[in-house]
Amino acid sequence: MKTIDDFVTLLRDEMGLDIAAADAARGFDELPGWDSVHLLSLLALLERTTGRQVPLPAVLEAPSLESVYQLYTG
Amino acid sequence: MPTTEPPSAQGEAEDRLRHLHRSGVLAQGYPSLPSLLEALPESRLSWAGQLIGRVDPDDVLKQHPDTPVLTVGITGHGTLAELVPSLTAEFARHGLLMRRSIGDFGQYVNDLSTPDSHLYARGSQLVLCLLDPMVVFDEVPVPWSVEDVEKALEEKLRLIGWLVGRFAEHRQATLVLNTLPLPRRFSAQLVDHRSRARLGVAWRSANVALLRLADQHANLVVLDLDPLLAEGVAADDIRLSMYAKAHLAPALLARYAREIGHLARHLLGRTKKVLALDLDGTLWGGVLGEDGPEGVEVAGGYRGDAFQAFQRAAKQLAAQGVLLAAVSKNDVEPVRAMLSNHPDLTLREGDFVRVTANWEPKPGNLRETAEALNLGVDSFVFVDDSPYECGMVRRELPEVAVLAVNDDPALHLERLLRDGWFDVRDVTVDDRARPARYRDEVARGDFLRDFDSIEDYLRELGVRVTLAPAASAEIGRISQITLRTNQFNLTTTRLQPAEVRTYAEDPARRVFAIRSSDRFGDNGLVGAMFTRREADDVQIDNFLLSCRVFGRGIEQACLAALLRQARDGGANAVIGSYRPTAKNAGVKDLYSRYGFQRVAGPEGDTAWFRHDLTVLPAVPEYVLLTETPEDGAL
Repeated sequence: MKTIDDFVTLLRDEMGLDIAAADAARGFDELPGWDSVHLLSLLALLERTTGRQVPLPAVLEAPSLESVYQLYTG
Repeated sequence: MPTTEPPSAQGEAEDRLRHLHRSGVLAQGYPSLPSLLEALPESRLSWAGQLIGRVDPDDVLKQHPDTPVLTVGITGHGTLAELVPSLTAEFARHGLLMRRSIGDFGQYVNDLSTPDSHLYARGSQLVLCLLDPMVVFDEVPVPWSVEDVEKALEEKLRLIGWLVGRFAEHRQATLVLNTLPLPRRFSAQLVDHRSRARLGVAWRSANVALLRLADQHANLVVLDLDPLLAEGVAADDIRLSMYAKAHLAPALLARYAREIGHLARHLLGRTKKVLALDLDGTLWGGVLGEDGPEGVEVAGGYRGDAFQAFQRAAKQLAAQGVLLAAVSKNDVEPVRAMLSNHPDLTLREGDFVRVTANWEPKPGNLRETAEALNLGVDSFVFVDDSPYECGMVRRELPEVAVLAVNDDPALHLERLLRDGWFDVRDVTVDDRARPARYRDEVARGDFLRDFDSIEDYLRELGVRVTLAPAASAEIGRISQITLRTNQFNLTTTRLQPAEVRTYAEDPARRVFAIRSSDRFGDNGLVGAMFTRREADDVQIDNFLLSCRVFGRGIEQACLAALLRQARDGGANAVIGSYRPTAKNAGVKDLYSRYGFQRVAGPEGDTAWFRHDLTVLPAVPEYVLLTETPEDGAL
């Protein structure tokens, strides 16, 4: 997962989210098909993929997918 | 867990699933999912479930209208989002489809007690109410004592008992509760061992009380989580519990979902019935044809003991109604000698309903065994240590559950029991007697050859039939017949015990139990008729007969008796209906055969029939029928 595009592909293939790269910067409220319950799957996926553990409250409070991505790669 | 490159079968299956998802054809490809998911390890099922869960169940049904579907209501104390993908995958793995109704976080009290909650509104047939330790620890003060926990447990138990009672009053759906795990982060907050022990007592007493609730309510299942936790699954994930209020760990929910998948199979009448076992390398070690009866590993020694444990488990399953069959590539004589004479072998020829030893391909042998038992191959679980045989059976008979065991016999048992293929809600007296009955059936089959015509055979057989209103003690068995019978099942209406009871208690309705016996023995309760008075007509809501006994004049005898009772009771006509399924084509002409006329009915694929009661069919002369009529009751 080197770029935001890799990240979006990962979300499409692993979580079945129907999103495009442009959606990553949108707020979660505007993200098509997004439900807050997906956050749990998302963080399990990211921990598995990156091998990094990020404090959960930071992930839960992140406003967009892009900011989640930065938490795990930044 | 070590991360390794996925083996090719897994990789291919994952690619295929991704492809189905990306191309938007998952609904179309739904029937291919069982074989696809078979190639995935358990740890990948939740991922698969996330993709599969994107598909609208209605789209699947549009393309594959025969897919068995169950509406599942999900409620509980904490966040349960992680349960849904696992459940979705387990259903898909069995070729079943889940319609889900999931409530808002923490709303179980409201969901179960309010008649217009989502559980009720969406007609859930199976309701899962997940309880977690925070049900209790959310209620204790700070600081807390063991007495505080005892008090909170007592209150919650009273509440849950009331909710279950209220649910049972209004609903006939099956409700599933679970025992509460006790995380160490609570017991470790007590510094003295004496208090910790008392907390353990209080906690376990509450779990015992929860488990005992199942004895009081016919439609309640209480899943004991302890055996799942004993496998080494963590009960909770502290971060998910703290931050997301998901108080049960995803891995435990996945394990729970596997148990629920089998319960769903059972509720949809798809419990497996036959355990077909390979012999060499599966039931014993070595090759009988080469090593001889003294050389194979049957019991004793490292490997022998492991094989013996597997034999004992098979015998244990058979004692509860699972039919054992042996399917082996061997000459028949040595196999017979082995099964009859080997002093240390736990299983005997008499434990099997059928032993097939020849050199024919196994799929054909399995199909033939199924025919001899009058069952579908989809009710088979097949265990073999040869990847070749397993692969061939998977390919030729995808509806068979194939369990591939390897060359370590200690793992055979685990492989067999990992999935609850034979899970039912209750084992009945009839279940325990089933293997013996099917063995008689094979004897009857042999007997058949000595007769010129089937009628002569039936006359010799001395069939006796009893038709009587169902007694209270028979309700469980009748429910089971509606759940298990697929072929002679005119409308395939599956009824839980509570639903049969409600039906029988309606003064305008009758549930008849059909029993039969013959010179080979008692067949027990083999069928049922559900009838109801509708103005001047009697309507047959369903008519079922076990596949063990049809084609012996029993169906004719029962219909003849019912028609006569209806006429004696002053009815103008008897109405019957036939709703086609993948399995019941054999009875589509049943009503026509006995003098019913096809009539128009409500829209849909159900066919309607009417008998005007002028000329009644006779009870076949070779059947001795005993009725317990209720004059004018129909």
